[in-house]
Amino acid sequence: MATHIIMDHSGDTRHHFDVRDLKALADAERRFKALTGAGFTAATRQANGDISLVRSFDPAAEETVFYPRLVGG
Amino acid sequence: MAFWRTAAGLNAAAVRHIANMVRAARARQRARFEDREARGMALLREWLSPQQLRQLEAHNYFEVTGCNSGTRYRIQYGVSTNVVELDADGRPRMGWCFIPEGNLVAGDVMLAQKIALESNERDALAIAKQFVVPPRRPDFPHCAGGALH
Repeated sequence: MATHIIMDHSGDTRHHFDVRDLKALADAERRFKALTGAGFTAATRQANGDISLVRSFDPAAEETVFYPRLVGG
Repeated sequence: MAFWRTAAGLNAAAVRHIANMVRAARARQRARFEDREARGMALLREWLSPQQLRQLEAHNYFEVTGCNSGTRYRIQYGVSTNVVELDADGRPRMGWCFIPEGNLVAGDVMLAQKIALESNERDALAIAKQFVVPPRRPDFPHCAGGALH
């Protein structure tokens, strides 16, 4: 199962999906595009703990976190 | 007289009832906030490196290395004015103020700051505001406000 973790006012909202399920995968890709289009940044974590930003939907990513646009505090 | 005594008794009961309702609402609000806080910190802990997790548990902060400059930053527990740039000796040099939009909890804010500095330091600092860190009180930074950099 892959997971999209979206930071929000509740802490976070998690969406789990099976990458073998084509409909779930399409929904996940739509969610990715909608969030990044709205200014969210997406980052994935590799098995060794390394974190990298992702600009396009990666079906192989096990865990993707989305955070809202950064602003000067 | 009996009427006024009854009316006063009813009023007191109503006041007690309202006070109880307010107390219950405050308790529910506090519980929701604590739940949000806990979820944010749990997510942060999941994404920290083992060394960063040890720092957080011990000091309520952790350090990251900027991906572009190699500069070390300390991310302290908090939702604003909580990122401090360190000099070569590990002393606070200046503060950087940048946060994700929205009313996010501390764990979420700190994770977004970590990812930004480790993966896209230049862009993060481009939108950040600098603030002065008093040398004796690095744990209580003073936000100077000011221009975007």
